[in-house]
Amino acid sequence: MGKTALVSDAAPVVRVEGLRKRYRKQTAVDGVSLAVQPGEIYGLIGPDGAGKSSLMKAVAGVLAFEGGRIEVFDQRIDSEAAAEKVKGRIGFMPQGLGLNLYPELSVEENIDFFAELREVPQAMLATRKARLLAMTRLDRFRDRPMKQLSGGMKQKLGLVCTLIHEPELIVLDEPTTGVDPVSRRDFWAILTQLLRERGVTALVSTAYLDEAERFARLALLHGGRVLAEGPPQAILNAAPGTLVELAAPAQMEALERLKPHFPDIEAVGGRIRVFVPDGAHAAALERVHALLDGLEVHETSASPPTLEDAFIILLRREQAVEEEQRTVARRTDDPPPADGVAIEARGLTRDFDHFRAVDQVSFSVRQGEIFGLLGANGAGKTTVIKMLTGILPPTGGAGAVAGADMRHAGWAIKERIGYVSQAFSLYQDMTVRENLRLFARIYGVTRQHLDARIRRVVELTGIGKVCDELVARLPMGIRQRLALACALVHGPRVLFLDEPTSGVDPIGRRRFWEILVHLARVDGVAILLTTHYMSEAEHCDRLALMHAGQLIADDTPLALKDALQREAGQVLDIAAAPVLPALQALEAAGMGQPALFGRRLHVLAQDVDATRARIRTLLEGKGVTVHDITLKMPSLEDVFVHRILARERAEAGR
Amino acid sequence: MMTPNERMTSRLGLWLWRFWAMTLKELIQLGRDGLLVFAIAYLFLFDTYMAGNVGMNLNNAVVVVHDADQSAASRELIYRFQPPYFKQGGEVADVRTGQRLLDTGGALVVLDIPPRFEHDLLTGRPTAVQVQVDAANTVLGFLAASYSSQIIGQYGFDQALARLGQSASALENVPIVQSEHRVWYNPNQKDAWFMPLSELLVVITIMSIMLPAAAAVREKERGTIEQLLVTPLSSLQILLPKVVAMTLVILLGTAASLGLVLHGAFDFPMKGSLTLFFTVTALYAFTTAGLGLYIATIARNLAQAALLAILVLMPMIFLSGAWTPPEAMPAGLRQAMYLSPLYHFIEMGYGILLKGAGLEVLWDSLLGLTLLGAGIFGFGVHRFRRQFG
Ligand SMILES: Nc1ncnc2c1ncn2[C@@H]1O[C@H](COP(=O)(O)OP(=O)(O)OP(=O)(O)O)[C@@H](O)[C@H]1O
Ligand SMILES: [Mg+2]
Repeated sequence: MGKTALVSDAAPVVRVEGLRKRYRKQTAVDGVSLAVQPGEIYGLIGPDGAGKSSLMKAVAGVLAFEGGRIEVFDQRIDSEAAAEKVKGRIGFMPQGLGLNLYPELSVEENIDFFAELREVPQAMLATRKARLLAMTRLDRFRDRPMKQLSGGMKQKLGLVCTLIHEPELIVLDEPTTGVDPVSRRDFWAILTQLLRERGVTALVSTAYLDEAERFARLALLHGGRVLAEGPPQAILNAAPGTLVELAAPAQMEALERLKPHFPDIEAVGGRIRVFVPDGAHAAALERVHALLDGLEVHETSASPPTLEDAFIILLRREQAVEEEQRTVARRTDDPPPADGVAIEARGLTRDFDHFRAVDQVSFSVRQGEIFGLLGANGAGKTTVIKMLTGILPPTGGAGAVAGADMRHAGWAIKERIGYVSQAFSLYQDMTVRENLRLFARIYGVTRQHLDARIRRVVELTGIGKVCDELVARLPMGIRQRLALACALVHGPRVLFLDEPTSGVDPIGRRRFWEILVHLARVDGVAILLTTHYMSEAEHCDRLALMHAGQLIADDTPLALKDALQREAGQVLDIAAAPVLPALQALEAAGMGQPALFGRRLHVLAQDVDATRARIRTLLEGKGVTVHDITLKMPSLEDVFVHRILARERAEAGR
Repeated sequence: MMTPNERMTSRLGLWLWRFWAMTLKELIQLGRDGLLVFAIAYLFLFDTYMAGNVGMNLNNAVVVVHDADQSAASRELIYRFQPPYFKQGGEVADVRTGQRLLDTGGALVVLDIPPRFEHDLLTGRPTAVQVQVDAANTVLGFLAASYSSQIIGQYGFDQALARLGQSASALENVPIVQSEHRVWYNPNQKDAWFMPLSELLVVITIMSIMLPAAAAVREKERGTIEQLLVTPLSSLQILLPKVVAMTLVILLGTAASLGLVLHGAFDFPMKGSLTLFFTVTALYAFTTAGLGLYIATIARNLAQAALLAILVLMPMIFLSGAWTPPEAMPAGLRQAMYLSPLYHFIEMGYGILLKGAGLEVLWDSLLGLTLLGAGIFGFGVHRFRRQFG
C-alpha cells in the first residue's frame, strides 16, 4: 500500500493481547496478539478453521472469549456493556451470503433500515446510498427483494449495509467472497478511498491472496496462532524462492521428474508452476532445466513468488498441508477421446416476472471436459445451472444432460448428475458420515458397497479426519469438500459445481482442483462450474462468459487471451510506488484502462514501446517512482475485466 | 466411477432403500433437536399428567356456616356437608364475615341457618336456609350450588319423613319418585380419566400437525431442499418419510403417556383393544400430517409455521368436543363438528379405551376419520408437490 506513510504511531484502534477462545473441546484462538493502527487495512489470512472468524467476532464484540484482552478505541471489551459502548463506531459484516439482511425487504429498504438503526442523517443517506449502490452495481435492482438477489449480489448488499453509517472501524469477514472480479476491484477502491478521506480503519479477512497484497499489514493465522505478521513483503521474505513457470508438451513426465525435488508444484492448464526455494532467478532456472534435461521445454519464465505461494510454503513448513495421496502427475495432457456431448443447452431462457435472467444461452460440454461459466454477479450463471439440473423449469429453450433430454427425461438426468450448490445445502445437524450415507442410499448404493463407496470419496476429498463431526462445526472450506464428496458419492457422469471454492483457502482450492482434474481426465466426468477466482479459470478447458443473461464469449482460455491482445492490445505490467496516485494519474490521462492487480498496475497498449515511454514520463512527472514496466501475457482477469467493462461502456453509451 | 453392481437394481428395493434412508435422516435430525425432544416429552408426559390433576371436580370446597340456631337440627344439617365434595371451614359470627370470606376466596359456600330453625321444623312450619355460592368459576359454583341443594333437599325430605312418624325402613309405603342415576363407563365420574385422555388426544393432534410442518419448513428455511430436488427423489419420497417418522414418534409418545401417566398414575382402565387404538392413532396422525404439509408450503420459517398451526388447531379443538361437550353447542356448530377429525378421533378414543367398544360400534367414526383424513392428506401432498414437484 502506498499509504503506509499515513500509519502513525498513534494509539492503535484495535489492540488484541493473548486472546484465547474455545468451543467445547476445540481451541479456535490460542493466544493471538496484534494491533491495528488507525487508517490502515489490516488483513487476516489463514487456512480454513484458523480462527479468523472467531477473532473478528471477538473484536466486533459479538463473541465472548476466555482469555486475553481486547481493546477497541481504548475501551476494554470485557463485557456486553463495554462492547455496547463502542458498537456505534464499528461496522461488522459476518461471513456468509447476506446473513445480516432481511430477505423480504427490498435492496433499498434493507439499506434504509440499517441507516435508521445507525441514525444516519437523511441528507447524507441519499448521497451515500447512491454512491455505494453505484459502486456495487446494485442501483438497477433497488426494488428487488433481497431473497431474489444472486449470491454475490447479496454479499454486496451486506457490504453496503455495513458501510452505510461510515463506521470508524470496519470489521469485514471475507467481504469479497463470491463477489465478481470487477465489483471486487471497485470494492477495494471504495474502501481505500474511505481510508484516505475519513481516516477509517479496517480489519479484513480474505481468501483471495492477490487482494491481500494490497493490505498495509497482515497476520497469517494457523491453528489459532499467528504464524507470521507484518507488511506483505515481510511475509514474502519469510518464504524466499523463485517461481518458475514453463510449458512442456510432455507434461506428465516433467511433473514426475520435478515433484520429488520441489513439492510445491502445480499444473495449470497446459503450464507448470513450480516453486524453487532459492532466491536467485538464474540459479533456479538452471536447476529446473537440469532436471528436465532432454525434454522439450518452452516459454520458461522466473518471477518472485506471489503471496499465495508464500502462504502455502509457510503452512507446509508447519506440516499443515496434508500430502496429496495422488500426485498431479496422474494428469494426462489431452482430455480423453470425447465420448459424446455431456451437456447441451439450446437457447435456454428464463424469466422472473418481467425480468429476463437468462437470455437464449447455448453451449455444449463434452464428456471429460472442464467447462467454466464466468460472469459478473447476477449475470445468470446459477439460473443456468438450476435449469440444467432440473431445479428450475426454463421459460424457453431446450437442453440435454448426460444423454437425456431435459424436457422428458428429468429422472434419468437426476440419476446421473452431481450438484454442489452456491449456498451450502447439506444437513448441518448431522455428521459428515450421516450426510454421506444419506446421499449414497438415495442414489441407490447397496448395503454391501456403501462403506467402500463412502471411503473412496472421503479419501478423494481428504475429509477422513472429520467424518464423525457435526457439519455445523466445520469451517467453510471443509464443508465445501464435503459437498463435493456428497455430489460424487454415486459416481455421476456430469458434475455441476456452483462456486464450489468460494471461501475455501488456497490450499483447499489447490486440492479441490486436483480432484476435479483427476475426475475429468481419468474418469471422464464432464464438469460445469462457476467461479470468481480467475486463477482457477485457467484450469478450465473452455470458458463461457455471461453478461446480463447473455453469453458473450465461449472459447478456450488461450483463445480468449489472444482475442484480447488482438482487440485491445498487449498487457503492460507496471511496478510503481506509491501505486494509488499512479493509478489515478493513468485514469485521469485516459490511458488504456488501467487496473490494479495486487500491488501492480495493468494497462492495455496497442503500441507497446510508445505507451511504455508515455507512462514513464507521465508517472515520473507526478512524483511516482516507476520500478519497471514489463510486457505480460494477459491473465484471465484481464480478459474478464476488459470484456465486462467494454460491455458496460457500450450499454451506457447506447 | 460407480460400477453397476454397486447400485440397487430392483425398483421396489430401491424405493424402500430410499424410504429407509430418508426416514432415518428425519429421526436423526429430530433426535438432535434438544428443544423439540423436550417439548415432545413435556406434552406427552407432563402435560397429560397435569390435566389429570386439575380436573373439574368439586374437591373439598370450603363451607363456612353462620348458625344462628345452634341446635341439634342445625348441627345435623351442617354435618351433612362432607368430604370429598365439601370441607368444614368453621363457623362465623355473622353473615357479613361469611361474605367477606367468599370475596377473598376463603370459602366457596356460606351456609346461613336462621334462628328458630329447629323450632320451626319441629312445629311443622316452613323454614328456609340460605346458601351463598362463589360462582366466579361457573362450573365449580354450579356444582357447589347443586350439591348443596341436593344435601339440603335430602335433609328436608328426611325431616318430613321423621315428622310423619315413619322410619326410613317404611319408605316403600310413601309414594315418591326416586331418581336413580347410574353413571356408566366412568363410575366414580373421575375427571382423572376424562381430562388426561382428552389432553392426550389433543397433544397427538398438535404433534401430528407441528412435527411434519417443522420438518418440511426446516428444509426450506435452510436451503437443504435444493439438494434433495436434484436427487432422483420424487416429492412423495421426500414427504412420506417425514410423515412416517413423525407418526412413529407420536405413537411412541402415546404409548409412553398411556402406560406411564394414564395407567401408571391414574389407574386408567384401558378396556378395549390397544391394537385398535394404536391403529386408529396411526391413521389419525398420518392423515392429519397433511395439514402440517400444507402449512409448510405457505410458511417461510418455523415461527410462521407455528402461528399457522395454532390457527388451524383452535377450531379443530373447539369443534371436537374436547373442551365443550357437543350437547352444549348450538345446532349449527354441532353439525360442523363432523368436520373436525379430532371429533371422530375422540369418539373413537373414548369408545375404545373407556367403553371397550370395537369396530362394530365405531365404524361410522372410523369412516368419518378415514374420509376426512384422506382428503386432508391428499390436499397437503398436492400443495407440496405443486411447490416443489
Ligand atoms: N427467484 C427469483 N426471482 C426473481 N429474480 C431472480 C430470482 N432468482 C434469481 N433472480 C435474478 O436473476 C438474475 C441472475 O441470478 P443468478 O443467481 O443466476 O446470478 P449469478 O450469475 O449466479 O450471480 P452470482 O455470481 O452472484 O452467483 C439476478 O438478477 C437475480 O436477481
Ligand atoms: Mg450464482
